[in-house]
Amino acid sequence: MNRALRAALVAGAVAAVGCFVWSSWPPNSRYAPVEVSFAVVGLSFMVAGIAAWQRWPTSRLGLLFSIVGYLYLVPYILVNLANPVAWTIGNLSEGISGAALAQLGLAWPTGRLRSRFECGVVVANYVQNIAFNTAATMVWNPAFSGCNASCPANVLLIGNGSRSAMNTLDTIEALVGLAITGIVLTLIVRHWRSARGWSRRAMIPLLWIAPAVGVENILTGNLFHFPSLVTYALLPLLLLAGPALFVISTVRARTAGGALGTAIVDLEPGAPPARLRDALARALGDSTLQLAFRLPDGVGYLDTSGQAVDPARPAPGRAVTPVTEASGAVLVHDAGLGQEPKLVRLTAAAASMALEHARLQAEVQAQLEQVRASRARIVEAGDAERRRLERDLHDGAQQRLVTLSLALGMARDRAAKADPELGSLIESASKEAREALTELRELARGIHPAVLTETGLAGAIQALVERSLVATTITAVPDRRYPAAIEATAYFVVSEALANVAKHARADGAQVLIRKFPGRLLVEVSDDGAGGARSEGGSGLRGLADRVASVGGVLRVDSPPGGGTRLEADIPCP
Amino acid sequence: MIVDDHDGFRTFARGMLEAAGFTVAEAATGAEATAAARTVRPGLVLLDIQLPDFDGFEVARRLAAQAGAPVVVLTSTREASDYGGLIAASPAAGFLPKDQLSGAALRRFLAWAPAGEGRA
Repeated sequence: MNRALRAALVAGAVAAVGCFVWSSWPPNSRYAPVEVSFAVVGLSFMVAGIAAWQRWPTSRLGLLFSIVGYLYLVPYILVNLANPVAWTIGNLSEGISGAALAQLGLAWPTGRLRSRFECGVVVANYVQNIAFNTAATMVWNPAFSGCNASCPANVLLIGNGSRSAMNTLDTIEALVGLAITGIVLTLIVRHWRSARGWSRRAMIPLLWIAPAVGVENILTGNLFHFPSLVTYALLPLLLLAGPALFVISTVRARTAGGALGTAIVDLEPGAPPARLRDALARALGDSTLQLAFRLPDGVGYLDTSGQAVDPARPAPGRAVTPVTEASGAVLVHDAGLGQEPKLVRLTAAAASMALEHARLQAEVQAQLEQVRASRARIVEAGDAERRRLERDLHDGAQQRLVTLSLALGMARDRAAKADPELGSLIESASKEAREALTELRELARGIHPAVLTETGLAGAIQALVERSLVATTITAVPDRRYPAAIEATAYFVVSEALANVAKHARADGAQVLIRKFPGRLLVEVSDDGAGGARSEGGSGLRGLADRVASVGGVLRVDSPPGGGTRLEADIPCP
Repeated sequence: MIVDDHDGFRTFARGMLEAAGFTVAEAATGAEATAAARTVRPGLVLLDIQLPDFDGFEVARRLAAQAGAPVVVLTSTREASDYGGLIAASPAAGFLPKDQLSGAALRRFLAWAPAGEGRA
C-alpha cells in the first residue's frame, strides 16, 4: 500500500469521526452511549480497511471495509445536522451500511463477487434498503418522536404521516431483512465449503464474523423490542467482530512468513521433496499446495505425489509460481494466495533455498561417496601391492638364499675334511646367508604377513601374539575368513596396538579380542599399562585410525593416564 | 619325492639327498605329485607348501588318502609360524624349513613314522 493511500485513509477516518463528534456536540447524556458505540464501530471498520489494504493490496476488501465504516457514520452525521435536506438524506441512507456489510461478506476475501446471482442479491439488498427507508420517511412525522418545532422538517412527508403505516413497514422490512440475512449466510457457508487451500483459510475469520453480524441484524430489526440502549448502543458492538477478527487473522498471518522459515529449518537434511511440500503447505496453510518438477525430458511436470501438472494451463482457481528457473520446479497453489504476493515470493524463495540445499547436499554426499570409495580402492591396491611384494620376495630372493645357504652348508661339510680353514670360512659365509634369510623373512612379514593370506585372522593373530614381547592372551578370535581388506585392517590394528604396548605402555599383559557382530567386526586390544595414549598427533594411532576409516570403520582409544589402554576398532563387515 | 615348482631347488635338493643315500623322484605341481605317488610309491614326500595348482596342505590331504600313504614333510622358505595352525591340522608328519634341509633331518621324520626306508 502506498503512503498517499494510507495517509488518505487515516485522514478520512479522522475526518469522519471528527464530523460525527462535531455533529452530535454538545454531548447529550441520553444519547452519549449510542453515539460512542456508533463512533467505535464506524472507526473500527475504517481501521480494518487500512489493515486489509495493507495485507491484501490487490483485493478490494480494504475498500469494502472502508465503505462500510463511512456508510455507518454518514447517515448519523447527516441526521444530526438539523438541516431538512441532510436530515432526509440521512434517513434515506440509514442502515445502508448493513447492505455494504452483506456485500463485504459475499465478496470475501478478494472483494469481488463471485456470480451474477450474487451481484443481484447485493444490488437487491441496497435497493430494498433505500426503498423501505424512502417509504418509511414518507409516512414518518418527526412529531411522532415528540419533537415539534426543534426537529428539522421532513421534506418527503406525505400529509401528517401515519404511525400504523410506519409500524407495518418496519415489520415487513424486518422480515425481508431476516430473509436476506438467511440468504447471505447460506451463500457464505457455501463459499466456505467450496473453498480450498489458501482461500479456505482466508475465509475462517468470516465464519465467525458472519454469524455475529447476522445475529446483530436480526436482534436490532423491528421484530424484537429491546430497550433502546440495548438496540442502539450494545447490540451494534457485535459488529466489532468484523474488524477485530480480521485484524487478529492479519496479525496471525504475518507469522506465516516466520512459520515458513521454521518449516525450512526444521526440514531434516536430505528430506525428499514431498516433505518440503508438506512443510510449505503447513506453513502457508494451503493444503492443496503442489510442488512440481520438470521431467528430465524437458516436457511436462510431475508433482511430488506423481500427478502430472501443466504449469501453462493451471486448473480453475489454481495459480502457478515458478520456484527458480534452474531448479525447474514450480509451486501450484490456490489462486487466492495471489492476494498475498509477498508470502508467495517468500514461499518460492524458501522452496528454492531448500531445493538448492538438497542439491548441494546430494552433490557433497556423492563426492564424499566417491572419495570414500577411492580411499578404499587405494588402500586395497596398497594391500595387493604388498601381498605381491611379499610373494615376490618369497619366490625370488628368499628361494635363492635358501638354495645358497644349503649349498654353502654342503660345501662346508666337504671342505671341512680337506681344509678346516676353508671350512670355517664357508661356515661364516653360510651363517651370513642364514642371517640374511632371517632378516628377509622379517622384512617380508612386515610388508605383508603371509600367514594372514594363508590362514586368515585366527592364525595371523596367533602368530602375532606368539611373537609379542608382552605376555598377551587371545580372549576370542573368530575362525572364519573375511574380505581381505577387513582382515588386513583388523590384523594391522592388533599388530600396531601390540607394538605400541611393547614400546610405550610399560604393561605386564595385554589381551586381544576379535568378535563378529551382525554387520561388523569388533577388534579390541587392551593392556594394563601406563595409559595416556592419544590418537591425535603424529603417532601411529593416527595412521591406524585412517586405515580403519578406509574400510568405513572407526577407531576408539580409551587411555586414561595410569588406567591402561583400550584400543577398539569397529569395522563394518558382511 | 621332492615336490617343488622351483627347478633350482629341486635339482639342488636331489643332489643333496642322493648324496645322503636317498633314491629321489621329482614333481613340479600338486597334480603331478599325486599322480606320481601312485606309481613311484615314495616312502617320504618333501612337499613345498606353495605350488602353482593346489597348496601343499591340499596335496598332503590327497596323498594321505592314497593306499600306502607316504610320510609327508611340508617345507617352505617361510617359517612354520607363517602358516598358523594349518601345519598342525594337516596330515603331514611335520614341517622343515627349506634352509634346514638335510638327509639327516629327513631321516628323523622317517624314524618317527613307521614307513618305508630310503625312498624319497
